[in-house]
Amino acid sequence: MNKAAFYDLDGTLLAGNLVSMHAYYARNDRSPIKSIYQFLKVLLSVPLLFGLDLYSRSLFNVVSFRAYRGMHRDRLIGLADDLFEVTLKPSIFPHAQALIDTTRQLGYRNVLVTGTLDFTIRPIALHFGIEEVICNRLEFKNHIATGRVLPVLLAEHEKARSVREYAARENIDLSKSCAFSDSSADVPMLSEVGFPVATNPTRRLRRVAIQKHWPLLELREGSPSFPSFLQPADAAKAF
Amino acid sequence: MRALTTWRWNPVLGEYESGEPRPLRGTGEISAIQAFSDKTMLLLGGTGFVGKVLLAMVLDRFPELKHLVVQVRRKKNLTGEERFYTETLQSPPLKVIVDRIGGESVVRQKVKVVEGDLDEPLCGISEQDIEALKGKVDIVVNLAGVVDFDPPVNESVEPNVYGTQHLLELVNVLSAKLVHVSTSYVAGKKDGRVSEDTAIEGYFPEHEKRQNETFSVAEELKWYERFVEETRATRTTNPKPVRERLREGGLARADYWGWTNTYTYTKSMGEQLIAQTPGVAYAIVRPAIVESSLRFPFPGWNEGFTTSAPLVLMGGEGVKNWPVRKDGPLEIIPVDIVAEGILIVTAAVLCGRNKRVYHLASADQNPIMLPRLVAFLGMNSRYKHKHKKTGSRLANAWKAYVETEVITVDTLQSRRTRLHRGLDVMHAALTLGKTLLGAKRVDPYLKSLRDTRRQIRAQEITLDKFLPFMFHNSFIFETKNIREAARMLTDEDLKRLKWDPETIDWADYWVNVHTKGIERWIRPVFTAQRKKN
Repeated sequence: MNKAAFYDLDGTLLAGNLVSMHAYYARNDRSPIKSIYQFLKVLLSVPLLFGLDLYSRSLFNVVSFRAYRGMHRDRLIGLADDLFEVTLKPSIFPHAQALIDTTRQLGYRNVLVTGTLDFTIRPIALHFGIEEVICNRLEFKNHIATGRVLPVLLAEHEKARSVREYAARENIDLSKSCAFSDSSADVPMLSEVGFPVATNPTRRLRRVAIQKHWPLLELREGSPSFPSFLQPADAAKAF
Repeated sequence: MRALTTWRWNPVLGEYESGEPRPLRGTGEISAIQAFSDKTMLLLGGTGFVGKVLLAMVLDRFPELKHLVVQVRRKKNLTGEERFYTETLQSPPLKVIVDRIGGESVVRQKVKVVEGDLDEPLCGISEQDIEALKGKVDIVVNLAGVVDFDPPVNESVEPNVYGTQHLLELVNVLSAKLVHVSTSYVAGKKDGRVSEDTAIEGYFPEHEKRQNETFSVAEELKWYERFVEETRATRTTNPKPVRERLREGGLARADYWGWTNTYTYTKSMGEQLIAQTPGVAYAIVRPAIVESSLRFPFPGWNEGFTTSAPLVLMGGEGVKNWPVRKDGPLEIIPVDIVAEGILIVTAAVLCGRNKRVYHLASADQNPIMLPRLVAFLGMNSRYKHKHKKTGSRLANAWKAYVETEVITVDTLQSRRTRLHRGLDVMHAALTLGKTLLGAKRVDPYLKSLRDTRRQIRAQEITLDKFLPFMFHNSFIFETKNIREAARMLTDEDLKRLKWDPETIDWADYWVNVHTKGIERWIRPVFTAQRKKN
């Protein structure tokens, strides 16, 4: 049976978030006046989104995706590379690539499991060399975003469910697989696998990780020591 | 990247659909696998853009084919065979496939290279080779021809008309069937839907306006011989270069009958020669504008400047004003889908179940409208210039942040006039500055102005060449016949060949496949050429 490494994106591999991504699209509307208007809308929504994120990640996603309403899909796809260069690439954590390379070398199938949207993910996945992605998609009518996400919204328990589904379909042994996330919203996903790693954990996740004896990993600075199951010598034992 | 989701993009509705895709089912009236089994195919033009992909596809997908004979033209000091093995097989699309099927030795078992040239009788294939091939070739697939839109008329007539005559002789001697690749644009200056059922022989686009006149290839060739002879005879008395006069003569003649350029005019004559030759089992395949590969042998493969590559390159350089029809599609079709279409038609011809004409195009089922493409060109320019470290900051910012605009040809002309007037003023000011401040200080600016002018002029010429396809005419080529042929295949065939332009996600294709393919494969060649000039 195969094994996989499931990665959350925002906060885990890079410092971007849904708000900064949407702020980019707002800043880059077709005319400067529209851009200013859109950008102000994003700024005004920041306190609300901040509060919602503390309350529920799913609700936060629903509200933040509503900001895409009325945008043409062509523009979202056409500007994705620029968004990556401007917003996301500089925010990649220094040791993220090393971690991804390590799991690949150890025979894990790397999979991104993220609430971020498909067109935003593409350049990131290519940059990291990750070929499989489980992500959200916006709903469109006649190429225009409706502001809704196609069901089911990928967050919290849905992430865990999609990981289980993926494992069943691709013949992956979850007990030999690993998962990386920074947020307590991903505890369900982390709990699914045999080797969960609290990566750049938030305070809440750090508490959970300590309780559950999950290893902690810091990709943002210093020289990280990867958990023992990722050390080549120990990797053999994991089989 | 593989997005693991059950949602599929429906490009026609512009929304996602859920559920598993319906498996392709054919009626099984013809079988491509059976049709190709133990057969020998002669391929002409296998070294071109479409030819290489077709060659790779045959080698990869139809191991049942007995022999593949490839005609290759000698090049300088390389024989046809040397050229095939050292150039064609080493090209990126073929290299991938050759490695996959087991290396050059496998190709050597399957492929026989014959030297030849379309400009010569029997396509320049030697008597010895003809004897060896007689009665053994089942089908000839001809992709050879000159694709330049406006060369001196002789450079187009020789390969595209006389070349077709030579091809017909060859097909006759070999007693083979024929698949001839032409272009959809033989329809000429037209608007709206173009049928596949229009009569080939005697066709000229202006026939509705000039019903008293008739078009015949024989008469046209007489005109051609006379025109070339007269033009060359006046070499000493007329100061204009002969080549230029031949070029203009071809364009004017094409325009008279209603074709958009010399290429479509001569290609139509080639088709008419085939149609009027009795006893030939043939099908004519007419692709629209052939673009980067969608999937095979890898996404984004592109070669040469006969696609929309010049436009994409110009867009990448920051051209903002695009004269295109607001309500018109650009009839493009990825090269690998064209190759699949040609093979489906070839199978139909081998089974004797073919129609005469097959359009290979996309707008019939899944049109990509021109204003969307103009917006993509602008976004590509933004990406390129925003992160550019060299060149003028101001120019880069302008190219990055000013959006592209759809305009009419009239607006384009008036903007061009204004631009050139502005450049004239700058030139006058710099020349004055030169006398006041000295050559040393001003010459660099004058040189830079000259370069800019040259670049603008080159862009204007390129844009004008594409106007018939983007502004003056708006075509939709009907594709009933190829869809019908694909439906006749077996389920097993459909795993190897499919005709599915209706599923192309144009946004993803244009941004992530086509534009990147052009930047990867065409831009370096273009930049090198420009430096050389």
